[in-house]
Amino acid sequence: MNFPWFKRIGIFFIPSTIAGWLILIAGLAFAVYSFIDIDSRSHSVSDTLMNFVFMCLIIGAVYSLIAFTTSRVKRK
Amino acid sequence: METQNFEKQLTEMEKPEIHNLKHEDILSGAIINAKDKSVVSWWWLCVPIFILLMLMMKSTFMPGTTLISNMHDLESKQKLISVAFFLVSPLILIIINVLTIRKIHFLSGSPKSLSFLEAVWFNILIIAVSAFILIIYSL
Repeated sequence: MNFPWFKRIGIFFIPSTIAGWLILIAGLAFAVYSFIDIDSRSHSVSDTLMNFVFMCLIIGAVYSLIAFTTSRVKRK
Repeated sequence: METQNFEKQLTEMEKPEIHNLKHEDILSGAIINAKDKSVVSWWWLCVPIFILLMLMMKSTFMPGTTLISNMHDLESKQKLISVAFFLVSPLILIIINVLTIRKIHFLSGSPKSLSFLEAVWFNILIIAVSAFILIIYSL
């Protein structure tokens, strides 16, 4: 496999290969799914947003961990 | 004649120079790795910080509650989340960042200068915030 899959710009990991883009798209798709799921169960807008932001932070944390582990270049 | 030639050769001989120092590569790699680690740590710290902010908001708008009482309430209702984000995660982040700073300190020849602090200030910030979260959780 060709590493690195991501390159870091500031606090964000930007995909640089197709595998990286696939991971980003999967993360975004899961965020959309979780928004729909949370919205169907919540009682107000603030309830939806608070739970959705929490879920986004967890998705961002897991995404950054995957991006970090796949961005390491092996030293010769 | 031969001795003269040899002396001439010696004077013309250049010192061997290594343009790319291996140690320099290792140090720059360690600093880049430390920055990446601090970014990942920051993302993982955002979750407990967000929960803390929500609990602060709750204690502000709900009379008779404090941040600590809300924290205990969360701990009793969501045991797994509170242990994972307020105990395990900050502890792991502190250990990872301390080891990273130690490695850079060792590779850069144990400097006592501001340039070293400039390289690792974000890791130090992560350690401080993690310690703060641990203290809040232990109260």
